[in-house]
Amino acid sequence: MPERVAIVGSGLGGFVAYATLRHAGLEPGEIAIFGDEPDPAGAWRPRAAAIRQRRMRSESDGHCAPTSFPGLAAYEAARRRDLAPLLLSVCDRYRPTVDVFLHHVARLRERTLWDESFVPARIERVAAVEGGFDVGGRGVFRHVLVATGHPGLALPAELARDPRVVHAYEPHEYAERVAVVGAGMAAATEWLNALEAGAEVVSVRRREPARRPLNVARPLFGKRGLAGFRRAPRGRRAELLRRFGEPSYPPGRTWDTPLERAEREGRFRVATAVNGAEQVICATGFRRGYHHDPLLAQLVEDHGLETEDRWIVLADDSTVPALTDGARTLSLAGVPGQWAYPAADTLVGMKVAARRFRQRVVSCPTR
Amino acid sequence: MSYTLRGRVETRLAAALLPVLVAAPLSVVLHKWWPLQLAGLMLGIGLALDVAVYHRFLPYQPGWAAVPLGLLELGLTVAAARALELGAPLGPALAFFAAAWLLAQLLVHAGLPLVHLTWPEDGGELGRAGPGLSVAAPVALLAVLGTAWAVEPPTVRLEAGVHQGPLVLDHAQTVVGEPGTVVRGGILVTADDVTLRNLTIRGGEYGIEVRDAESVEIDGVVVEAAELDGINARLSQLDIHDCEIRSLPGASTQGIDISFASQLPASVVENCVVVGGMEGIVTHMANVLVRDNRVRSTELRGIAVTEMSMGHVEDNVVEDALGVGIFCGDYSHCSIEDNRVAGMRVDPSGNPTRAGFGLVAHYGAIATVEGNTLERPPASFIGARIEPR
Repeated sequence: MPERVAIVGSGLGGFVAYATLRHAGLEPGEIAIFGDEPDPAGAWRPRAAAIRQRRMRSESDGHCAPTSFPGLAAYEAARRRDLAPLLLSVCDRYRPTVDVFLHHVARLRERTLWDESFVPARIERVAAVEGGFDVGGRGVFRHVLVATGHPGLALPAELARDPRVVHAYEPHEYAERVAVVGAGMAAATEWLNALEAGAEVVSVRRREPARRPLNVARPLFGKRGLAGFRRAPRGRRAELLRRFGEPSYPPGRTWDTPLERAEREGRFRVATAVNGAEQVICATGFRRGYHHDPLLAQLVEDHGLETEDRWIVLADDSTVPALTDGARTLSLAGVPGQWAYPAADTLVGMKVAARRFRQRVVSCPTR
Repeated sequence: MSYTLRGRVETRLAAALLPVLVAAPLSVVLHKWWPLQLAGLMLGIGLALDVAVYHRFLPYQPGWAAVPLGLLELGLTVAAARALELGAPLGPALAFFAAAWLLAQLLVHAGLPLVHLTWPEDGGELGRAGPGLSVAAPVALLAVLGTAWAVEPPTVRLEAGVHQGPLVLDHAQTVVGEPGTVVRGGILVTADDVTLRNLTIRGGEYGIEVRDAESVEIDGVVVEAAELDGINARLSQLDIHDCEIRSLPGASTQGIDISFASQLPASVVENCVVVGGMEGIVTHMANVLVRDNRVRSTELRGIAVTEMSMGHVEDNVVEDALGVGIFCGDYSHCSIEDNRVAGMRVDPSGNPTRAGFGLVAHYGAIATVEGNTLERPPASFIGARIEPR
């Protein structure tokens, strides 16, 4: 049977989409995954390692399996013969360890025969053609899901040439006096990491970080909360998305206690400049916007797609309206899918895009 | 989980489906409508809360909220069941509610996310199946409840005050008294599925006479000054709860006499107080469970299971009985456990079997005993056996 579905991007977004399609009954031979890295956690793993991340921020639904249940909490409960993960899960307090998550990815990769569908190729361009989409000259596919992930690390322009600078998501150790730029989850993690390594830490930030369990409020993960978001005029919608992207980290004593102690000891303070630090860790996340992603920028240019601010305007099911009809689908998952689903950059969000994509693939009369 | 209103309703209906499907045959088997009525009540209260409360005040519902919300729904269901006098026994009704709640949790946490991939992000909506379910489920339930209501025995409410008897109940019905309702002259029951609740019966040959009837319930009834027995049942199966039999004239009267029903399911006598009379509670050729009763000041035996009866006698208190407290006689098989017999009086007739024994097995009867509190050891006569459990 010819390949009819292409997934561009072999990271977690592509992996979730692949697992979802396999769950719908598609064979590995019907799906082609294009990417640089055969390990779906290959891009995520070193970033998590760089910030010494031990636990996932996402909760029990934060996994790559196509169905919400059984999640990692259920697996952990069964493996440990302990109800605690399930109890924590119903209280929205279960956060699997990175090791548990990576083990789950490895197991799912094996079970879904991911490697049989993987094609080692960097796709620079996806173009609408007769009968579907030309995917970087590798063939024409009726249904394409683009999940290229974050378009590179963001560094403040004024620090770009500073030799002291390292990005939080790049491998690094800690100097004795460290300035951490940023105020999100990665920054908060780096404060604690540097303090634990014995450093004096200066938190350099322009604004006070928001304290919330997840970047996007929980109701916005479901249809009810999304209804209001999707009704908003474009400008307002972009404004909301910008707000959701503002730095935040979860509330709780895990964060507060060590910071308060370090503050009392004079080892932690807040400043507006990095002056005097031996090392500057930029926990400033990723570049934002489709125009930083060459493939998406080209797509917009080639087809004159509608955009708003830094987002490509998508339909509610995360497809590109101008390039999707009854016979073909172009869908964006992960960060570029935020226009349709504000939490698209989370595993849950990736699943939402994947499930809508799956519905279109399965119900397509010319599949 | 962030439910939409439609999602809440559809999920509620999906979760109610199995309890309703279980309740329907259960009602048929038990010859009682309460399982179905309870399932309908649970669904109705749940839907009302979904629409009026949960949807407004819970834009996001964490998993743990199912516990307090479940307790709220339980409280409202119990209150509504009492107000509507469903007649559902508390224990089984609680078990039914708990099972339905657990099933609902399994469904929303595991079942629905497995069978309907987009259920979580769709706010609990069931896609194309949803509207059909939303129409079919309430229609089916209403049809069944309507049938139940239509064929259910009528309820007769007796106002407070004295009603001249005897009343003859020859078809299925529920007779409920208000506080202060008195029936003078007794009640005769000759039909199945009769319930007597909250009545005082004064005088009459028998206080309550039951003849050839099954599934008779006597609940919260006081019998005073009957000429013969307080409650007398022949060829019948009945459940008696929370009764009081008093002012028996003595000589040849019994408090409760259930006889000639060995081919019928067991009758139950529970939480009753019997004062005076020849025998407090007696069975002849019947299957009975006699539990948690208090019998006082009898002249022949406190509790007697005799003439080839099968009886469980548990957790009763017998006081001030003349001759014998608990009696298992005439080839009966009795299980006698955790009773307390005190203040026995010796029969002045000199009959050695009536020498103030707390427990006697007589004439080929077999009594299995455990945990009874007696003032003197039990005794067996004429081929009877008393065996520790």
